[in-house]
Amino acid sequence: MTMTGCGTHSEKDNKLLSFDKDVERNDNLTLTVQGKHVRYGGDADVRSLLESRGENSLYANVRINGTVLSRRDFENIPLSDGDEIDFLYFMGGGTCST
Amino acid sequence: MFDLTEEEILRYSRHIILSEVGGAGQQKLKEARVLVVGAGGLGSPVLLYLAAAGVGHIGVIEDDVVDVTNLQRQVIHSTGDVDKPKVHSARESMEQINPHIEVDVYHERLTKDNIFSLLEKYDIVVDGVDNFPTRYLINDACVMKKKKLVEGGILRFMGLVMSISGGETACYRCVYEEPPPPGTVPSCAEAGILGAVAGVVGTLQATEVLKMITGVGEPLYNRLLQFDAEALHFHELNAKRNPKCPVCGENPTITELIEYAYNCEIQAPGSPS
Repeated sequence: MTMTGCGTHSEKDNKLLSFDKDVERNDNLTLTVQGKHVRYGGDADVRSLLESRGENSLYANVRINGTVLSRRDFENIPLSDGDEIDFLYFMGGGTCST
Repeated sequence: MFDLTEEEILRYSRHIILSEVGGAGQQKLKEARVLVVGAGGLGSPVLLYLAAAGVGHIGVIEDDVVDVTNLQRQVIHSTGDVDKPKVHSARESMEQINPHIEVDVYHERLTKDNIFSLLEKYDIVVDGVDNFPTRYLINDACVMKKKKLVEGGILRFMGLVMSISGGETACYRCVYEEPPPPGTVPSCAEAGILGAVAGVVGTLQATEVLKMITGVGEPLYNRLLQFDAEALHFHELNAKRNPKCPVCGENPTITELIEYAYNCEIQAPGSPS
């Protein structure tokens, strides 16, 4: 089982950049992710955003602008500039031993 | 009039001199009844701090025994407690810290058959479990019986805390409407946990309990607090009560307790959830 970083973004991940007003503006989206302003240059859908943060193997509910998304909508609902995205991580479960 | 001995007044002096707590608040702690579900990573700091604070009646329910792999974070247990039922080990530690409290132990699993009778004895519940079936059972029961619940969870370097006043504020299902598909979320045994993260989250849960009892401050109602230990970042999310919540919403569809089945299968990364 490969676990990737949960709730963090890697500095090595060039799709998810720290907000820097001196960076030349391009087609990157400016998003608020987990309360932090970021520039995102990947595919503009939730699943791609999750994968850019290494969340693919960690189950989380996703909320955009206050609305919780159905998991099946992760690829269908596009991200827009200014969106506020929260990841509602599931934690504290998974144990099956008695 | 406070029912505190001279020794107790001395013991709790650092509480009593807080104008927001005082002798009245300490008396409330002494009369409080709190049930802690789980005596593991989260339960350990919760139980230790509630005992130290003088919460008068504490119940602990846990069916497991101490394992050496627990000792990295379950600080209420010691090396000499390996193979001992966790509830007994926990009670010994708590009574050593504070002989003035009463600790009731239940060396059994929390199920839909015993949860309501247990809830009758306590005012506040703390969730320190490590599985989703029990987590949802606790939430639903606390909503149905209008109990206060302090929810907590940990995994790898992350944690979360949420306080719930059953039937009044957002509940766990308002945020997480249903359990994740079986096998998609690993346990701490499978994915790991930085030990001290359990201490951070459990201590926050204990803090919330003390606030609920004494009336100090604002409990974490209608809010979800996420903790990222790697960045040492706390992120608070608004968690409004969901009018369509299946258990606490305007038209509840969950009116009886559900015990979801346990599933031990972990899916490979990238598998459809």
